[in-house]
Amino acid sequence: MERSQWAKVGGYRMRTDLAYDSEGHMWVERLGGGRVRVGLDPLGLEINGTLAQLAMIPVGTEVQRGEPLGSLEAEKFVGPLRAPLSGVVAATNDTVVENPGLVEQDPFGCWLVELEVLPGSVEDAELVEGPSVPGWFAEQVQEYRDKGVLAE
Amino acid sequence: MTDLGAPVELRAGPGRRELTVTGEGPAAARVSPDWVRISGASAMALRFRSGRFGRELASGGINLLLNYEEGCRSDCAYCGLARTRPGDYEDKSFIRVEWPLVRTDELVERMARAEDRLTRLCISMVTSPLAYRHTCVITEQIRSAVRTPLSILVAPPTLNRAKLEQFHELGVDMIGVGLDAVTEELFRSLRTEVPAGGAGLSWTKYWSVVDDARDVFGPWKVNCHTLVGLGETDRDLVETFVRLREREIFSYLFCFNPEPDSRLGGRPKSPLRRWRRMQLVKHLIESAGYDRDNFGFDAAGNLELLRGTTSEVEAAVADGVAFMTNGCPGEQGEPGCTRPYGSYRPSEQFRDFPFRPEPGDMRAILDELALDDIFEREVRA
Repeated sequence: MERSQWAKVGGYRMRTDLAYDSEGHMWVERLGGGRVRVGLDPLGLEINGTLAQLAMIPVGTEVQRGEPLGSLEAEKFVGPLRAPLSGVVAATNDTVVENPGLVEQDPFGCWLVELEVLPGSVEDAELVEGPSVPGWFAEQVQEYRDKGVLAE
Repeated sequence: MTDLGAPVELRAGPGRRELTVTGEGPAAARVSPDWVRISGASAMALRFRSGRFGRELASGGINLLLNYEEGCRSDCAYCGLARTRPGDYEDKSFIRVEWPLVRTDELVERMARAEDRLTRLCISMVTSPLAYRHTCVITEQIRSAVRTPLSILVAPPTLNRAKLEQFHELGVDMIGVGLDAVTEELFRSLRTEVPAGGAGLSWTKYWSVVDDARDVFGPWKVNCHTLVGLGETDRDLVETFVRLREREIFSYLFCFNPEPDSRLGGRPKSPLRRWRRMQLVKHLIESAGYDRDNFGFDAAGNLELLRGTTSEVEAAVADGVAFMTNGCPGEQGEPGCTRPYGSYRPSEQFRDFPFRPEPGDMRAILDELALDDIFEREVRA
């Protein structure tokens, strides 16, 4: 099994060996055989404030990219977790649904959903990966700082 | 409500976390006046904490809460800070939201920097022998650095008229009194005759502080918090709204939402229909001069009739202000203390709106009100 690669960007510890949905701040890990694991990156978590509840759609549901895989409720915010790729939900992580605080402790260690990716979905997705990740993420951090969403 | 896209069945676990003060380490020595708690929304507004609101809204109200090792000496049946509510004081929530602990001097510095975005400041006292003196210290600290109007939500057992006069001299603009329970019997059972002792909370004392505050601060500079859902009747609420209006005192309505593990933790939250109707009734009494005769009740005291002119009532509903958060205003009379998501979860319908309801909100409000069931038109008393 390959070792994870990490970098510190904008004050956050990021995995640079994963792909990221450029809008929803979901990370995507390719598991092989057309299956991916999806989770929330640390910025995607922090911008919402203290996490209160996670909800996922049932296994077997087909979603198109951008549609809700579930929802996230925080102290003062509620919103959808949008699918970074089109696919069929193959598994959901019931442990984090029951204890959402785990995701805040370890966003990369806590996947939310596994998807069986639909043909052509990866090519259509707007994923950031490889050497682009640190630069893209640093810009995102600055954007949210400018909006006043991040603590000083 | 946030658009979640196509309707799908969501599977939520039992894992709803009750949010409490966390991540600050031991709070033992961090007490007022050097330290205060601030509401989650205040912490976000001043960037002590990361986060955003579910709807686009600006929140310029900053709410402070005194903090003591022994906590609040009161033991109110519905309150998150009640002495007999299980858990350490520093881990307790208050009106169901987190209150992070911050250094007072850093808070004042941040408020001064953010002054142009702030609309109203409020210090909430707790029942403690130190509370009055420390409220004065913090008030002076704030007044020397920030111009934003300042309210105090007082702890009546700690006060008398002279102390209220001192608050006024220090530059406090408005006084709030958390009466909460609107009948003497209810007040006594929930706040006075309680397991840990009443700590000086009495119906008579609360009303004497209301009267003194009204004398000292003037008309429409005092507000009384009234909770809908503690076991009172609609008639009790109407009587209270009229009584306060006659003295030129605001009623600030709060919707009961059970605090987990409090003695009323198992009591259901106020039904939305009743809540919406009480919002409208209070608004008509306070802003349109409606009186007891405009309302009819069944034998149990439930509202069953609203008598009024169609144009007046329809205008009051359509205006939307009736359904906004009751809070002290900003300097120019704009909404000041809006407490977004203070008594409802972000995933629930707004109980009180921290902004003027939008057309989609108004459609929901009309459904919730079901006004045709109680409205007897054109019979303004």
